[in-house]
Amino acid sequence: MDTSHLAEHAGAAGSFFASIFVVATLSMRTMIPLRVFAILTNIVLIATAIPIHNYPTLVLHAVLLPLNTYRLHQMLQLVRDVKKSVSSDLSMEWLKPFMTERKCREGEALFYKDEKAESMYYIVSGRFRLVESGIELPVGAIVGELGMLSPSNVRTQTLECVEAGVILSVSYDQVEQLYVQNPAFGFYFLRLASARLFQNIDTLEKRLAQQIATAAATPKPA
Amino acid sequence: MASVLSSLRYLFADFIGEDDGAPPFLPDGLPDGTASVVSDGIHLLMDYQGAGYATLYVERLRRFIGRPGIDAAMFSDIAQLMAARMSYEDPIRIAQLKLMEIESGNGDASIDDVRKFRLDELIGALPEIAADPMLYVLDTMGWLHKRLSIRFSTRSRWGLRRLKLEAALRRWRLFSVRYNEERAWVERWLHMISRCLVKQPQSTAAIVETATMVRGYGDAYRHGLADWHAIIDGLAKPTFDGVLPLDDLAGAVREARHAAMLDPRQAALKRAIAQIRARAIGAGANAAGG
Repeated sequence: MDTSHLAEHAGAAGSFFASIFVVATLSMRTMIPLRVFAILTNIVLIATAIPIHNYPTLVLHAVLLPLNTYRLHQMLQLVRDVKKSVSSDLSMEWLKPFMTERKCREGEALFYKDEKAESMYYIVSGRFRLVESGIELPVGAIVGELGMLSPSNVRTQTLECVEAGVILSVSYDQVEQLYVQNPAFGFYFLRLASARLFQNIDTLEKRLAQQIATAAATPKPA
Repeated sequence: MASVLSSLRYLFADFIGEDDGAPPFLPDGLPDGTASVVSDGIHLLMDYQGAGYATLYVERLRRFIGRPGIDAAMFSDIAQLMAARMSYEDPIRIAQLKLMEIESGNGDASIDDVRKFRLDELIGALPEIAADPMLYVLDTMGWLHKRLSIRFSTRSRWGLRRLKLEAALRRWRLFSVRYNEERAWVERWLHMISRCLVKQPQSTAAIVETATMVRGYGDAYRHGLADWHAIIDGLAKPTFDGVLPLDDLAGAVREARHAAMLDPRQAALKRAIAQIRARAIGAGANAAGG
């Protein structure tokens, strides 16, 4: 039985559906639905290419399908991790896959006080010190995350490498891109940043209360 | 139509450069008599790069407005030296200056100037994404410090065209390897001034003055830069960190600068820094011993 006409019909119908999906993909405003529709388009075009033996299209979409799936997975994982972080330890470890590794020499300053802030850092190894306050930051600390949201956008302290180590950095532009592409990420990121800010205020209040208590307990000279 | 063009410009900002907009205003509260210096600096940097860059200059200057220990003369020095350093001489700047000479009609119509640059200096003027792999390859081959003569000529149409092309690279200047180094240098210099104002205000003028050590291009620039870092790392920073009991930082900096001038290979400078440090530590130990 000659089935070529069936393949032709399947090809035409497939192309029609694929066109609808392409339009739908391009009309999406944010990244997650865009990736979902792109995956559907890939599947339809692969299914259409098989009966009509259109191998270049088949190969192209066989490559794009895992790529779109991986990117969607990355995005969903990011939202899940930020959401989890808001309700647990307020850590920002979820940013690590988007960060770039950089080695630091002893004595090198990562940024200076009053300098315009452009990126945030995650300390992987080595020793780093905030020069003005003398505070040493532990491995695993995130520095400069609030600079992105602060209106003045300037560094409030100088960060210096005391012992050679490795840091991960991500520019505010990159975080902004994630924020704009993905409203869910943006929402949880804001909640996380606010929570960290409130945590800082809480720590400062406790420190102030402790200082007041110490001053009150110290006997005044006669 | 304007909004469409604006959107397109934003989309391709990484390739065609930012839409810089209006030049910055003079900041409020400038010390008396410094407005003209700041205004000159703004105009210089507008010509050099654009309004955004001039705004960065104004923002950096704002850190010192109304700060205790900064008088009009010192503020004026900071403004002048910072503008000079922010308009550092790279091949793009030299091409810009040659074109300006022709446009103003002051220069000879047939300019033919040959300048020697190090390869890393030339490649460093390109955007980081293009320069990094090239620098890696040159480093592997051991050619990083090789010198190359570059002709800046307006004698032929091709020479003039080449000057225009080189000057047009300014759109990508802020993405370059060299810009990152210069940004870090200016920030370190300003940071040292700030720390000096807190730790040893009487020596601040000497720290401000150190900016004159870093000038030009090629070997002279590299030597000046290396000497500056040696003085800051060996004397200024340890004094501010409290690990070197140096009472007269200004005198020590002057002594070290004098030694640097005598020997471009840094041997005399390193010896002078070691002597100053030994003297200061000895004096500190004596004072502690009573």
